[in-house]
Amino acid sequence: MAGDVQKLSGGCQCGAVRYKVTGEVGHPHLCHCRMCQKASGNFFLPLIGAAKKDFEWTRGEPAWFHSSKPVRRGFCGTCGTPLAFDTVGDDHIAFTHGSLDDVAAVTPVEQSGVEGRVPFYGHLFELSETRSNRDDLPGGIADISTTNNQHPDHDTDQWEVRGA
Amino acid sequence: MTEIHSGGCQCGALRFKVKGPLGEASICHCRMCQKAFGSFYAPLVSVPASSRLVWTRGSLKHFQSSNHASRGFCAECGTPLTYEAPDGIALAIGSFDDPSQIPPGIQFGVEAKLPYTDRMGQIPERVTEDDMEAAPFLASLVSFQHPDHDTDTWPPVRTGANDNE
Repeated sequence: MAGDVQKLSGGCQCGAVRYKVTGEVGHPHLCHCRMCQKASGNFFLPLIGAAKKDFEWTRGEPAWFHSSKPVRRGFCGTCGTPLAFDTVGDDHIAFTHGSLDDVAAVTPVEQSGVEGRVPFYGHLFELSETRSNRDDLPGGIADISTTNNQHPDHDTDQWEVRGA
Repeated sequence: MTEIHSGGCQCGALRFKVKGPLGEASICHCRMCQKAFGSFYAPLVSVPASSRLVWTRGSLKHFQSSNHASRGFCAECGTPLTYEAPDGIALAIGSFDDPSQIPPGIQFGVEAKLPYTDRMGQIPERVTEDDMEAAPFLASLVSFQHPDHDTDTWPPVRTGANDNE
């Protein structure tokens, strides 16, 4: 994927923060290090690199947390979605793969920070699979899809954040 | 003795304890969990009604992602921490101090599973030290992340939250 010219857009769950990337994206990878795990509450953080000159926040701005002196992590202050990993002073930024509108457009090529990888990682994909089902709710899954406050997976001219 | 599971956000402004056994652990691939976590899926473990979840430091900020579900996170550093629905609360497994002890047992929302997710264990791998040459700052890195255990006090300012320097 590195080297391909991409036009990619993405943002947080509530839509308060949106971004676009025009230009090459590079080194899509999963980082298993303990800092990426805890920052994202997850087993790893999937990140994609872009030159800062090709990367633009098109709606709102993330909030930032300096997880160490050289690195700050961007997230939506309204809904919490992890959005970016920024080495201060670098001419590249990394954005979170899952915040892309079209997540399948880029395929990770490497795992880094594997000293922190959870021991069961290689077996997650052997687990039994279930489609989304909320029959436990009065309106079922339809009640979620018709009332969800998630921003759609494409840019919008105007957007009023709901659910904050 | 009651088993205790502790965890919290990256910056340490929020800390929790679960007193008693954890419930079902899962990964959810649905598009709402993907976008909420900025990732390929959300790893969640439920807290059974028979166990007790206590927030020992700080309080969550919430986003109502649909009429039934709300997602809690740290307003200072953004760590996603909870998924809350009428049937109970689930915690983000990666936010536990020892996530290696919470292996998921089932995958949900697989209609949105990404085409490459199942192959992600097979791509090349590196340890962080291998990146020293490309990122020399790693050699002198001082982490502002809260340690993976409870602390009596934790300076709220030192972390540099929302610091744009």
